[in-house]
Amino acid sequence: MSELTAPVAPAERQASLWSDAFRTMRRRPDVIIATVVLLLVFAMAAFPGLFTDKDPTKCLGREAKLRPDTWFTGNHPLGTDAFGCDFAATLVHGTRPTITLALSVIVVSVLFGLILGIYAGYYGGWVDSLISRALDVFIVIPMLMGAILILSLFRGRVSADSLVETIAAPAIALSLFGWMEFCRYTRAATLETKNLDYVVAAKCLGANDRRIMFKHILPNAIVPVTAVVPTTIGGIIVTEAALAVLGIGVQPPATSWGVLLSKGTEWAGGGYVYLFAWPLGLLVLTVFAFATFGDALRDALDPKLR
Amino acid sequence: MGRYVIRRLLQALLTLGIVLFLLHYLMALSVQIRGNPAMLFFGGDRAPDPAMLAQVERLYGLDNKCYERVGDPCLLPFVDRLQAFVQGDLGTTLNGNRDVAQLLAIYIPNTLRLFIFATITLVVVSMVLGTWAARHRGKLIDHTVRGTTILADSVPVFLILLTYVYIVAVPLTRWARGIWGTESFMGQVFRPNYNPDYPWTTIIIPGIIVGTVGLATMTRLIRASQLENIGSDFVRTAKAKGLKPLRITIVHVIRNSMIPIITGVGFLFAFMLSGAVLTEGVMGIPGMGRMIFQAVQRQEGNLVIVGLSVSAMVVVFVSLVVDLLYAALDPRIRYE
Repeated sequence: MSELTAPVAPAERQASLWSDAFRTMRRRPDVIIATVVLLLVFAMAAFPGLFTDKDPTKCLGREAKLRPDTWFTGNHPLGTDAFGCDFAATLVHGTRPTITLALSVIVVSVLFGLILGIYAGYYGGWVDSLISRALDVFIVIPMLMGAILILSLFRGRVSADSLVETIAAPAIALSLFGWMEFCRYTRAATLETKNLDYVVAAKCLGANDRRIMFKHILPNAIVPVTAVVPTTIGGIIVTEAALAVLGIGVQPPATSWGVLLSKGTEWAGGGYVYLFAWPLGLLVLTVFAFATFGDALRDALDPKLR
Repeated sequence: MGRYVIRRLLQALLTLGIVLFLLHYLMALSVQIRGNPAMLFFGGDRAPDPAMLAQVERLYGLDNKCYERVGDPCLLPFVDRLQAFVQGDLGTTLNGNRDVAQLLAIYIPNTLRLFIFATITLVVVSMVLGTWAARHRGKLIDHTVRGTTILADSVPVFLILLTYVYIVAVPLTRWARGIWGTESFMGQVFRPNYNPDYPWTTIIIPGIIVGTVGLATMTRLIRASQLENIGSDFVRTAKAKGLKPLRITIVHVIRNSMIPIITGVGFLFAFMLSGAVLTEGVMGIPGMGRMIFQAVQRQEGNLVIVGLSVSAMVVVFVSLVVDLLYAALDPRIRYE
């Protein structure tokens, strides 16, 4: 019995947009540094125990306001704050609410924007006009302004123990005013894609609307959206901090970088600059890393700019 | 063109109507959930005479029964409010009983001044940096410009402000006054707070700080559009004719890169508004941003609705102007 095998084509790597982008990104030193910083921050949020063995809620009044003279060694590597809590522990444990808030807002906004954008672009007609009007309405109220409005009007007491309760209010307010950009990009990409030959072919073969939308159009529409995601995460972290400084974001005694910053401003003038400088440095570093990563991603995904 | 403008204006009116209604609904919900803001008139927790309270409620249109039912959209007061707005009556504030239209006449010019300086800063700095980066594409200057602008964008505006107000402003003012005197331009420009006696001078620095919002976005837009133009045929022709590089840059490259700049300014306008809230709060500028923030905090429903509607109107108007400028700048763009 002779074996009949089809001639196997030499395994030629198919150049896709994503693998190309990944290869371009891998070669850039700034991307590598940004990735390391982001991994470190994520590790801090996920496993705070790795970075500090202190409990941020155990505070001794007589150890209050110890300056970090010992530089990363000794009992309190970053000193203590006004109530005698270990500042390194506070900083590390404040990472989790900040990062969780930013990630949950971005996930909700992207999902919301993608789905609305695809429906608006694909069906057109009254669905499109309805979603476009909603887009117009939300876009004229800037994110920070809208968040201030929602948070101040419906302020209530929440417990600081549960992470969900701590971040729920700011997360809802920010998501409500964060989906428009993604919706616009998706709608534009869907309008562009929906008349391409392969989509028409899929329609002729009898694919239903949902299959066309999520199997054929979504992979194209998601490219411009992905390119703005990292930068937007950075923006959300900044907005959270601004809300906390205004006193309406995450509420103390729960901590986040914003809460630490707003507390730190009170002490920075009195000679305890480290209470302000450490959260500031961490925040700027993280946002900078997100922005650098996003910038490189945008370049890598947009072949016109190369 | 004319039909396009009319369609856009009608859309804008519809958008503003929905915004007004949503704001009204939010305020009504807030009254229903959090309690009666007419109590503010009596200064906090004191228990006023029920007859007086009823009178104040009637005065500010809070006497409708719908404000006691949670979730009721309060359509009747909404219609009343719209009628009052159409007749030019913007109402009064709960706290101090001041005329809202008069307050706007004080606050709007201040915010406009802030935006003038912010826009000038944004456009000039990003033009210079973007052009510079595009001419040295891929070299060290390009990467430095890109890194610096991203860094400037990563530092939140309110932190730049706090650093300036608490650390830089006072020594700088003292130094300037030592040389030029208190009443001179230099003696006033670095002040850490707004001074109504020098409405233009003391708003320059806050304007520049607000202008750093979106610097990275803008610089990148300008760089990309200039790279596109530098590689184009008409620039090659200009070079072949032997024109000077500066003339090519200004006349052929920059002029043709105006469209993304206008898009960018229109797009960043809403972000600058957010920056204005923080800037006006920290520097004590009596402007729209500070007014809206304080009104929200004090539950001054009418003031919030008026303030946010004004800002919504401005955003809608700016985006309309941007779309029309496209057609004016680039004859290839036509609106049907």
